[in-house]
Amino acid sequence: MSVRRTIFSIIGGLLLAGIIHIGVVFMVPYYAVQDAWGRVERLGRAGQFHRIASSEAGAEPLPMLDPAMLHAVCRFSTEDGPVRISATLPDEFWSVAIFDRRGRNIYSLNNRSVEHTQLDLAILTPVQMAQLRQDPPESLETAVVVEVDLDQGFVLLRLLVPDETQMAQSVAAMETADCSGEL
Amino acid sequence: MRLLIDIAIALLIATVLGVATAWYAVENGRLFGAVHMPPWTAWPESGGPDADPYAVAYLARSGELPLGAGEGLAFLTFDDSAGEALDGDCTYFVTGQTPPARLWTLTAYNRAGQLMRNVAGRYGFHSRELLRQEDGSLNIVLSADVQPGDWLPVARGAKLMLVLRLYDTPLTTATEFVDLDMPRIAKGECR
Repeated sequence: MSVRRTIFSIIGGLLLAGIIHIGVVFMVPYYAVQDAWGRVERLGRAGQFHRIASSEAGAEPLPMLDPAMLHAVCRFSTEDGPVRISATLPDEFWSVAIFDRRGRNIYSLNNRSVEHTQLDLAILTPVQMAQLRQDPPESLETAVVVEVDLDQGFVLLRLLVPDETQMAQSVAAMETADCSGEL
Repeated sequence: MRLLIDIAIALLIATVLGVATAWYAVENGRLFGAVHMPPWTAWPESGGPDADPYAVAYLARSGELPLGAGEGLAFLTFDDSAGEALDGDCTYFVTGQTPPARLWTLTAYNRAGQLMRNVAGRYGFHSRELLRQEDGSLNIVLSADVQPGDWLPVARGAKLMLVLRLYDTPLTTATEFVDLDMPRIAKGECR
């Protein structure tokens, strides 16, 4: 058994281990059941905002959410056209984020970047954007327009609830959130 | 025949090595892109569109919903400022200042990232409900026993994790993280 053959075997083995390692890391998201998408799917049907129950000890619908915030989530698809997100939210910190199928936060903004309490967001694919540029509807002028290369994803709303006395009106505000509108 | 056995052994070792290291890397969280402001750590890119494959795999397993650049930045620690693991049997004082942000929250979890049951039903503080010191700095007391002032309950016997979430902060677009005022965590008495 020559030394050279042993060295080649070790190198070969390490290379193979590396390939397997990379393979496993890339495959994990495709077999994940407890990823954000899976959990959001189980909250309810797409095209509609679902309020996530406030996190309490022992009852956290989604992990690592900020307990000071209210959350609502809407699964969307761009296959039938652009997605319009609207909500009338109080003058407290709130933010909107668009997540892709892998749970990556692709785009986000908070209420300071928007300057009003009315959230009006339009989500378009690059193709839809190009089509709309030729004949832009009026609504595009007032809405915040976001171009994302996604077939599907979900929108997450976060709203600060400063204390328990504000809970009722914060919940009512979250109920105004809509993701079924059109441009 | 001997050659085949050698190859089989090599394949087995390679598979075990490859899978074990992949599993360890994915389980233990984010390997790359960490910003250390001891004892706090943040991973500004790991939840976003430029997340590396390990971070994407980690997201797939944890199911969490990371803050985006337009929302804020979360710092996390398992240790106090002396580098010792946060323990629910001890009392800690979180003092000092935070980096600039319109709003921030400090939340206590156990090491597994779960909220801990407590009589006050309180899991964290946000920046507007704190009783500040005269110079505007914080003094939050972590303890399993009731404390005066800003008391953040923790579970006795649990190892802890603290998450400081800074909302609407210039840090999300920062390229350098130097000279930041981060809260200190000092250990008080332990049982």
